[in-house]
Amino acid sequence: MLIELKNVTKIYNQEQVNEVTALREIDLTIDDNSMTCLRGASGSGKSTLLAIIGCVFQPTTGRVSIAGKQLSRLPDRFLTLHRRQYIGFIFQTFNILPTLTVQDNITLPLVPLGIPPAEMRRKAAVLMERFGIAHRRNFPASQISGGELQRVAIARALINNPPLILADEPTAHLDSRLSEEFMHFMKDLKSAGKTIIITSHDPLVTEHADVDRVLDIKDGRIDAA
Amino acid sequence: MLLNSWSIALLLCGLIVLFLMGLAARSAIRVLLFWNPESDSNRQIRLENEIWLTSTLVEYALGIQIISLIVFVLAANFYSQSIAGAMCATGSLLANSFGVPALLVKIGGVFFYGFWIVLHQLDIHSEQYPLVRKKYLYLLFLIPLLILDLSLEILFITGLKPDIITSCCAVVFDDATGGGSNLIGGFSHGLSMELFYGTAGVLIGIGSFLLRQRQRWMVVLFSSGWLWFFLLALAVVTTEFSSYIYAMPFHKCPFCILKPEYHYIGFVMYFALFMGAFFGMSAAVIEPLRFVDGLESGVAGYQRSAVKFSLLFLVFFVLVSSYHYWRYILIGGEG
Repeated sequence: MLIELKNVTKIYNQEQVNEVTALREIDLTIDDNSMTCLRGASGSGKSTLLAIIGCVFQPTTGRVSIAGKQLSRLPDRFLTLHRRQYIGFIFQTFNILPTLTVQDNITLPLVPLGIPPAEMRRKAAVLMERFGIAHRRNFPASQISGGELQRVAIARALINNPPLILADEPTAHLDSRLSEEFMHFMKDLKSAGKTIIITSHDPLVTEHADVDRVLDIKDGRIDAA
Repeated sequence: MLLNSWSIALLLCGLIVLFLMGLAARSAIRVLLFWNPESDSNRQIRLENEIWLTSTLVEYALGIQIISLIVFVLAANFYSQSIAGAMCATGSLLANSFGVPALLVKIGGVFFYGFWIVLHQLDIHSEQYPLVRKKYLYLLFLIPLLILDLSLEILFITGLKPDIITSCCAVVFDDATGGGSNLIGGFSHGLSMELFYGTAGVLIGIGSFLLRQRQRWMVVLFSSGWLWFFLLALAVVTTEFSSYIYAMPFHKCPFCILKPEYHYIGFVMYFALFMGAFFGMSAAVIEPLRFVDGLESGVAGYQRSAVKFSLLFLVFFVLVSSYHYWRYILIGGEG
């Protein structure tokens, strides 16, 4: 078992007038080497759940364990190390830095690890080749297409070779061809042994043959598994 | 003496530190009452977040309080300009009955406050918050010390009057001066140098042994040795080394060496001595924590570094403090 959530509740702005309960008493187990989709309407809590699994947010109550290790309550410095080592994020708007080159964007997660520049370039080259963006290596990210941006985002999420890939609405801004391409990449990653969690309400993702499990989230609760 | 920049800086610093510690005391009480790392409750999670902020504030507050020892000595030196008979901090500190106790409490505080910072650093370098209860209990014990520290400081500063006639260091530390005004009266000079170099040699020997092979009783012996050496060194610097630094046989003072005319050598000496003593003593202070879950390697690593640093500071202190003495012995003075 890779990920286990027990009684996880998340309340934003606790004890203030604008208090919002985003997640309510979530119990969830996600197996290793699986592809899980969190489906729900906007505001249902799926992104919050993904952020809690990714140790970006702390639950208000409850606990999150990954690979048997209680993570949700680790001191921040250890969470940072964990995120660097075990988690690759793909964001809805990709969050690529437009002024950096494609290569520099991809190697960004390696910078705090103190890896020598030559080794960083070598790792990036492998991924750029794999995702077909090697010819854009020295292009500023602001000058490449949407599909290429998406591949840069995936390559950046994989540069640390993390076992867990989290993607938050990755196809929201993509046409159907690029969405198909994205799912193709995810399928390859799953075959390579990664665990993938995707939030989406795009049928192209939720009904994809390689998705093992779809969890419907409504009003902060998991509706059905 | 309240309305000058030194007094205002000292008192403001003390009040801010006490205020921050007062806030931290609230967290400390909550920790002692409700801390339960096994719980997933909202209260526990909020407490975990709260202590991060509190501990960081306490760490800085105690750091400031440690530095205030230097400000206090500099302030005492400054006050001497306005007190009849005083030539340096010695005269100011003896101008009323609160000066010396205030200095002693501040010196002791350096170690007690520093030990909290060591506990905190060990705690945050572990994934499991193993020392939260212990460090917050210790924090509650530090608050009376801080109150005493600030109270003595206020009593000392408010008790300083320009019409007080006090004694200068030449009288206070003079061998010929008997009675209560001589702070080191009765200190035997005969064995002091032998004890000084002998103890330093023993500490270097024990420390070197500890760096190769760790034994519990040796750690305790090393730290006890440092406590003894710290007190001995303060006396030897005053009675023996200082007069060689001043190049005046009858001038013995632990404070004049802090003055610019002696190139601030006192700051270098005392910094090395305090740092060495702190690291040396902290090795034994944290010894009981070796058996706390999640701290075994952290404690062992800290002890090793502490022994190493204390030895480096010891050698540096002995070399710097002895320089003028040996120069005089070997080549016959300043020429």
